[in-house]
Amino acid sequence: MVKFWQKRIQSPTLTENLHLDHELEKIQKEIKEHIYRKFAGSLSIRMVDSGSCNACEAECNALSNPFYDLERLGISFVASPRHADVMLLSGMITFNMYHHVIDAYHQMPQPAYVITLGDCPLMQAPFDKTYALKGNAEKLLPVSYHIPGCPPEPKQIMEGLVGFLRSLGKPA
Amino acid sequence: MRLIARFCIENSDNFEIVTVYDKTIERTVTDKQNPSVTTISDRYPTAVWFERKMHDDFGISIEGAFDTRPLNRHERFPDVHPLRKSFHESDLRPVPFHPYPYEAIKGESVFEVAVGPIHAGIIEPGHFQFSQSGEGMLHLEVRHFYKYRGIERMLEGKSLKKSSKIIGRINGNESVAYQIARIKIMLEASGRPYPIELQKYHTLLLETERIIHHLTDLGFIPNDAGFGAALAYSSRLAEESRRFLQKLCGHRFGFDAVGWETPAYRQDEIRTFTEKLQKEIDWFEVWITDIPSLWDRFDKTGILTRAKAKKYGCVGVVARASGLQTDSRQEPFYQNHGFRIATEKSGDVAARFKVRIEEIKTSLKLIEAFTGDGTPFTMEQPSKSDYRDGDYMSFAESSIGELFMFMRLKKGKIERFFVRDPSFINWQALHLMMPGNIIADFPLINKSCDLSYAGNDL
Repeated sequence: MVKFWQKRIQSPTLTENLHLDHELEKIQKEIKEHIYRKFAGSLSIRMVDSGSCNACEAECNALSNPFYDLERLGISFVASPRHADVMLLSGMITFNMYHHVIDAYHQMPQPAYVITLGDCPLMQAPFDKTYALKGNAEKLLPVSYHIPGCPPEPKQIMEGLVGFLRSLGKPA
Repeated sequence: MRLIARFCIENSDNFEIVTVYDKTIERTVTDKQNPSVTTISDRYPTAVWFERKMHDDFGISIEGAFDTRPLNRHERFPDVHPLRKSFHESDLRPVPFHPYPYEAIKGESVFEVAVGPIHAGIIEPGHFQFSQSGEGMLHLEVRHFYKYRGIERMLEGKSLKKSSKIIGRINGNESVAYQIARIKIMLEASGRPYPIELQKYHTLLLETERIIHHLTDLGFIPNDAGFGAALAYSSRLAEESRRFLQKLCGHRFGFDAVGWETPAYRQDEIRTFTEKLQKEIDWFEVWITDIPSLWDRFDKTGILTRAKAKKYGCVGVVARASGLQTDSRQEPFYQNHGFRIATEKSGDVAARFKVRIEEIKTSLKLIEAFTGDGTPFTMEQPSKSDYRDGDYMSFAESSIGELFMFMRLKKGKIERFFVRDPSFINWQALHLMMPGNIIADFPLINKSCDLSYAGNDL
């Protein structure tokens, strides 16, 4: 551990890509302000995967790495739908997952929002509809917002969250 | 012999069961009226899932099988055999809920813990059923196929060209490996050699993919033991590697990157990346091996003995950590570029962790060896009429292990597609690592194997 702290103290602040950093800063500022006003400072997201290829999950995991670090904006990925404001849904709704996704949605306290992540839930990915799929998520769940991409990059997910927060309008 | 895959193909007048071993391929046929085949699960334990899948997909009864429960048809799935040619989507009828009998140990003070399909973290869906005695795990049943998307059927009747986007997106973490397996089949079917420039570029992407995947694990395994600093450190490295992959091929996961041409790239950029990561990973290794409380959790946790790994025909990191020399990269192309297999003996979480560190180092050396002068190269793509009809098989070593792909081609179109993800084998061996450990160690053991759900479920 001593070595770790020695290295930590010796290394300067690292900026890999100044342009991207500035852009991210802008997005982060806006997310933080929206969450402060509309969700009392904390937005809880329950990530549900229903038949994705795992790339969307990998990008969501990347959101917590030191480059993006969403937690400090008040966004947390929670373990239970009962704690969540938002369900982030990725992947195509498969026959075998359909009931579990609906179950999870009904466990969420109202108002509950569903954001679809990536091209799959709306069947816009290059996959065909088969017997094992339930089809477009918009027909099965009340989808509030869609974040496109295959998979959306962490920056695009953050921009998507900005778009979602903007779409909510002013709190009553 | 090691069992690689066992699957069924529908011919016009019979069902053909193909069993692929590492040394030979067996084919048996059964008539269409009462299709049945004798089980091989008494000799090859991992044949169980293959045979249950065959039963669900084609309705072939397995004689002598001890496990006849459905595999990918869950509680509410209609009673159909969807890979038969006679199946149409209009045959789907809703069926009543039929409960699934789990493998459970009965006895005084033995209880069950059900986990999933929706897990607590950002992770794919799957179900784990533990039989517990206090904190100790007695048995684990892995139940998957929640992500069953019908990929095999989806690809039937597609031209090879059109299959590209789907095959590359079956499994995001192993996308490059899937695409390489596909292109190997296309080259073989059109009777063309694999041009060395193309092969070098593809394997460059594959090794980068492996590095990203291993780096992610090197963070998540200590994180599951409560050591978050490692996750912060290695997820930064993983993000940098992902951005490097994007620079190389234009996509953070390498989707649609394995094709017939190589783009121009700069040698010095690759050199800078490998040299930097080499230093970082060396530092990481020294740092992490110096934390005794972490290795208290790693050592002797989730042991898979060599004998059991061999019996189950395990592949990839799981097999190599148990001392098996299973790596499909043991071939002249890789060996000429300085590939050396990384193995450990103890078969526990610590061994799998060490193998991953070792493989990152090997991959970095390989990337340097595969780097050409960066001039673009284009190969003429075979046309539809160049593909000869027949059965084709190919292998690729993904970050999880040996990937097996099969295609039957007819007039340039896919007649039958089958892919066996390395996870399909290793998931079946996961329960062997549980007895003797407490349930709190399950995330650690599971993550140290880091198996895929998407590739497994298809």
